[in-house]
Amino acid sequence: MCFKNLPVEFDEQGNAHLKEGVADPFSYKVEELAPIESPEGEEKLHRLLERNGHIRRVDFDPVTRVAGALAFHTVVDLENRQVLETDSMATLFRGYEVILKGRDPRDAIFISSRACGVCGGVHSTTAALALEMAFGISPPPMGTIARNLLLSLEYLYDHPLHLFLLAGPDYSEPAVRETNPELWERAQSVRAAGKATHGFDTIAEIMTAMTPLTGSLYTEALHMTRVAREAYVLIGGKYPHPQTIVPGGISATIDTSDFNEVHLRIVKFFDYSQKVIAIWNDLVEFFYEANPQYREIGRRPKNLIEPGQWDDPHAYDGTFANVDDWGRKRWAPPAVIRDGELATTQMTALNMGVEEFVEHSFYEDWTDGGAGNGAYQFKTDPNGNPLPPNHPWNKQTIPKPGGTNWKDKYSWSTSPRWDRVAMETGPYSRLWANALAEDYSHLKFIEPTGHSLKLHMPHGNLPEAELEWHIPEQWGAFERNRGRAYSIAYTALIAYENLLMGLDLQRKGETRTSVDYKVPKDFRVGAGFWGAGRGYLTHHAVIDNGVIENYQILTPSTWMASPKDPFGNPGPYEEAVHATPLLENYEKPEDFKGIDVLRTIRSFDPCMPCTTHIYADSRVISRDVVTCACGVDDDGHDHEH
Amino acid sequence: MADPVGGNGGTKLQKVPHAGAVFGADGPRGIGGLGGSAGPISELHVFWLAGMSCDGCSIAVTGATSPSVEELLAGSIPGLPKVFLHHPVLSIGAGTEFVRPFRDAANGELGAPYVIVLEGSIPDDQALEEGYYSAMGAGGFDPDSETDEPNRVTDWVKLLAPGAAAAIAIGTCATWGGIPAAAGNITGSMSLMDFLGKDYTSALGVPVVNVPGCSPVGDNFTETVAAVLMFLQGLGPLPEFDELGRPAWLFSETVHRHCVRAGYYEEGVFAKRPGDKECLVDIGCWGPVVQCNITERGAINHMGGCMVAGGACIGCTMPGFPDKFSPFYKRPPGSRVSGGVSRTYGAAIRRLRRVTMAGGNREPLWDRLDESPSPWAAEESPPSVPSKVAKFFYHRLQYSGSVNHDKRNKQQPVPKSLNVLHHDPEPTAGYEPPDPDKEEGAAPSEES
Repeated sequence: MCFKNLPVEFDEQGNAHLKEGVADPFSYKVEELAPIESPEGEEKLHRLLERNGHIRRVDFDPVTRVAGALAFHTVVDLENRQVLETDSMATLFRGYEVILKGRDPRDAIFISSRACGVCGGVHSTTAALALEMAFGISPPPMGTIARNLLLSLEYLYDHPLHLFLLAGPDYSEPAVRETNPELWERAQSVRAAGKATHGFDTIAEIMTAMTPLTGSLYTEALHMTRVAREAYVLIGGKYPHPQTIVPGGISATIDTSDFNEVHLRIVKFFDYSQKVIAIWNDLVEFFYEANPQYREIGRRPKNLIEPGQWDDPHAYDGTFANVDDWGRKRWAPPAVIRDGELATTQMTALNMGVEEFVEHSFYEDWTDGGAGNGAYQFKTDPNGNPLPPNHPWNKQTIPKPGGTNWKDKYSWSTSPRWDRVAMETGPYSRLWANALAEDYSHLKFIEPTGHSLKLHMPHGNLPEAELEWHIPEQWGAFERNRGRAYSIAYTALIAYENLLMGLDLQRKGETRTSVDYKVPKDFRVGAGFWGAGRGYLTHHAVIDNGVIENYQILTPSTWMASPKDPFGNPGPYEEAVHATPLLENYEKPEDFKGIDVLRTIRSFDPCMPCTTHIYADSRVISRDVVTCACGVDDDGHDHEH
Repeated sequence: MADPVGGNGGTKLQKVPHAGAVFGADGPRGIGGLGGSAGPISELHVFWLAGMSCDGCSIAVTGATSPSVEELLAGSIPGLPKVFLHHPVLSIGAGTEFVRPFRDAANGELGAPYVIVLEGSIPDDQALEEGYYSAMGAGGFDPDSETDEPNRVTDWVKLLAPGAAAAIAIGTCATWGGIPAAAGNITGSMSLMDFLGKDYTSALGVPVVNVPGCSPVGDNFTETVAAVLMFLQGLGPLPEFDELGRPAWLFSETVHRHCVRAGYYEEGVFAKRPGDKECLVDIGCWGPVVQCNITERGAINHMGGCMVAGGACIGCTMPGFPDKFSPFYKRPPGSRVSGGVSRTYGAAIRRLRRVTMAGGNREPLWDRLDESPSPWAAEESPPSVPSKVAKFFYHRLQYSGSVNHDKRNKQQPVPKSLNVLHHDPEPTAGYEPPDPDKEEGAAPSEES
């Protein structure tokens, strides 16, 4: 049912098993790549150059305004305004998984937090979840509520940071004037529909306010990231690496003052999220109306993965045996969405479909092309479901630094796939999973409809409002940003509901936040399924003799920054940039800046520290209708140097 | 004529010259460079490099408020120069446009003073024959270079450090090595000081400045930068640095000394499990031996802080982090001695204090009336005879050499409006306090 590529079937009781009679069920053949700039791509290159002289290589190294080091390499046809080839490169390796091997399991929380400084808190919590599964413990309700609040507050800092400090400047006055002056002209006369909410008369005024440092939306966002982080550190101690996450709960001492100060800060996001949504709705619609092709920027199939997050404090018991049950009771349910359809909402199915490939990454394959020589550690998960050799519980991190080669290895990111399909994840995968979960009537302020998510916003200074996020018809860069804006409201509502539940627990005297535990000395496995600002986050741990035997971290940007898989299919950044039309206003290749490529990459909110750095080899195709002088000569000679 | 051959073995395509310059090829290449005051330095470039980094230090700095990063970059603080920041997360240009000023500085062609800031540890990739562990920008350092290989961050550091006015390491990875340098690491990571060596001094003769913490308090970094700039502009003292290059005013005290829970330690009361409100030493806090100011300054905008919220200190500002402070959540061995002592003497101290506190919780009028008007407790136990005796001697000592308010209070008449809902006060001309000149206890007693 849910798997199309992996040889896994389900019986009538819903238990998974391998298809009968398939030898080497998970083995695969590696597809050879023929990049344009390699000897294998020579012929293709000459064919292209015969068509026009405006084939260019465009490298963005580094891609700035993303967290961490990302480089992107493209080959573009500037005449036909197409991207021909893309390579995404993660350019950092620190070996956290290797450092964690052989350590006390208790070290996993604080060490894995340092995998990412943009979203460190979520790693701590994910590690705690993995340890809880391994230790056989779970937090008291207040411990889970506190974690849910921390997760929400992290998002409330993270999304404004992205929308106005990282992605936002690409929509600001100076950038639009530089890359599409005709749009700037137009923006001055287009009235902003959301004026009653955000106060700006025209789209041009919004663009001016998005200018780095001098724009009011830029500085306001920076301020709001601090408001959320102030609330965070009252419970978490510090940020980005919180100090209060422990196995079996949280070590924060939460009293009325903490709840009061957190409450007041959450409430500030009711108004702010309405404003941010109005801003991004106005911007997105302006671009779509100016040129419908903007819907195509960063286009990609609707393939998304969401492990679910925000635990039900009374359902979460930390066991893998019940993971499907407590998973479905999360605020955002686990989900795999394939071509816009729900493929599964079972955590076990989501988990068993995950494989990480390293054919184009600076690591050694430990599986012998998926065959695993029958010797891989876990043939099944703890519930008896089949696991592939490339599954995180079986993965070994064996680094192999080397030269960059688009045909062979070019990234420190691996290529995670679900059922061998590239998946994206993000704040919108939470919205999406929740919108599709029509039976979700237990949420207080959030109402899924199957095609949209209604958000019942309480009043702040702005009056109460019902906001509605619709599952987009066409998925692309602008919808990612719009989804992220709605996610601020969504998150604020979940934070608020958790705060109210926390106050209720306080009233009942259920204020204990942690349980006692002992580090087990026998063989244990655990997994933490959680989320980061950018979506999917899992930690898979294997513990024996009181030390970590294997530890695997799979982050959202690893999913999305991934290089090509062994089947020759691109990772999501590569895929989206490849599909992007080049709508930038340029006359000659020398004028080309690559705004549409950058908007595409940044719409994913790349976060590379825990992915490694991504370096994409893509060549930018720009359109030069005037002259061939700066193009590649007929003989392919490069004149630039 | 042969085609230039790239690392992929095929023909190299021509590149576009201004990829990433979405704010214009002549526009600002970093971020900032607004406002500012004239002075000995009117313009300063800051090159931010990320080695084996999680970007947590950058995020911490965006949380700073004293001063904030936007105040520094907008040049809105009188006395400070124009600051241009070249930062991979915050800069507005990308790719070649972003890297160009780095190259200019490395080649001595920037034409303005600069400092480098390193976040993240330095990997041992200078020793690799091929490849890197951390890279930024590609295509070598020489404008005529034909290479496409990513440039190692360690090469950038080597090229930029000697000409920098200062080299600042931010965060525990860059200052001491941190987690990428922990036991079991496979990248040979180290600190900036280790990499540059003992003889390194900047162009202004300053050794590496270290602002540790994982992640650091953002204000510790921006305040240090502002203090140095104020000094260079002739407006402030030379900031003091300790023997490891840490800002002395921030890191000379232990985090325990300013801890909001330190009083529990003194009274020998300890948290039994995470979430308890008492001193966290028994659940793994290393605060008494860790140099850090987070309990005083807070984490962001003076709020939070590890032990303030309830998190045990794991020594993240210290060169020994993480291995000398792990396994985490385990009681430090040293606390068995000091904690044991504080338990013993704290037990006596806190009982004596409860006696004194009980006295302090009684308004002098209540002493005179021998009752408290509070209906909140069903019954408040009146002071015992021994506690009255103790109080007598306590006040003798307290007021000796000064005015005895205990005696003075005894002479104050009882207000007539007490318990007004049950008794209408007797009309009087006014409340009549005793004559200060005739009052007993009003004159300072002899010093004993």
